[in-house]
Amino acid sequence: MTALRQSLELGLILCRTCGLAVSRASLKEDRRCPRCQSLIEHRMPGSTGMTLAWLIAGIVFYIPANLLPVMHTSGLLGEEDSTIVGGILEFWRSGDWDIALLIFIASVAVPFTKFIAIGLLLLTVRTNSHWEPHQRTVLYRIVEFIGYWSMLDVIVVALTSALMQFQVLGVAEPRAGIAFFCGVVVVTMLSALSFDPRLIWDRPT
Amino acid sequence: MNSILICRDCDTVYRAILLRRGDVALCRRCDAVLARYFGANVESGLALVCAAAIFFAIANLTPILSIDIAGIETKANIWFAVRSLQQGWISVAALGLAFTTFLIPALQIALLFWVLLFARVGHRPPGFGPIMKLLHRVRPWSMTEVFLLGALVAIVKLANWVPITAGAGIWAIAGLTTVLALLGRCDPASWWSITPAVEP
Repeated sequence: MTALRQSLELGLILCRTCGLAVSRASLKEDRRCPRCQSLIEHRMPGSTGMTLAWLIAGIVFYIPANLLPVMHTSGLLGEEDSTIVGGILEFWRSGDWDIALLIFIASVAVPFTKFIAIGLLLLTVRTNSHWEPHQRTVLYRIVEFIGYWSMLDVIVVALTSALMQFQVLGVAEPRAGIAFFCGVVVVTMLSALSFDPRLIWDRPT
Repeated sequence: MNSILICRDCDTVYRAILLRRGDVALCRRCDAVLARYFGANVESGLALVCAAAIFFAIANLTPILSIDIAGIETKANIWFAVRSLQQGWISVAALGLAFTTFLIPALQIALLFWVLLFARVGHRPPGFGPIMKLLHRVRPWSMTEVFLLGALVAIVKLANWVPITAGAGIWAIAGLTTVLALLGRCDPASWWSITPAVEP
């Protein structure tokens, strides 16, 4: 077994777009991949700054996403504005605890996990921490994997509004909260995509 | 074939070995997937893309969910869901939903079909490089599986109040999700070597 070595030591560089290993010496001035013509960088430029900026945007959007109603229903039972947490509680009370749990995971647990995990990754990378690089890489992969499941509530509200169009019995309409929530999903995904996981393994020399 | 592999997650360099069916090469340092056995040949890839196109058409032409109250019927599919979010500035959410559940899956199917159709006769299609880059970029934003789960939640949510039925569309969404997942599992780096680099 030979020692594990990083690309820089061996004079190589990875094209993150097409996965080609390129020799650093063969890179021309414009730093384009010989196979797919993408720009190749040793590390994604400005990675931590971009990740932090999108993360802050996500946290800011998450506040109105929860405070503002996501849906307005009107019908025989009267008028009602419902928020995300209100919707979860309603499912819980009516005995559909499994659906309540599912929406709780997608709309509350997943965004919070992302905020904490990305924040932790940024903090440890900025301080050049040596702490559990393998575990932190796994954390990064979890953040990437759970990324889009938060879109669930946006889809449920959209489908409910599309279906509940009975003038007398009930009409459902989307409200501003859902747009903010969609924003949370998009910017936290951008935050995770801006993060360069190789920074976890880099050691200052 | 690529003889050197570099881990995307920790930058460790490896010499590639030949993989057999079912093999997955993992990084020794961080356990990232370095490469998978590339079983999909052009024919089966093309078959999967055709299946995806058919599922996509069914999902968008038949109702996914419908409610019938005293003869008044409402239906919903992906496009109706997008339309229902078009309301003032909330329409930005409609845009998000349209991209992730309609436009990007459609784009993925169309571009893969284009690439594989040419690969079938041993050519690289016009625009191969930009197409491959675009496919790589849009991959995280394709959300048909989330739409499927959303439709199931909507059924349970509304079933307490109104008679709701699932249409053919929901099966088509399930099929589309499966086929896109099978196509996506294929290592993107391998798609590059599916056609000869030099134009014949």
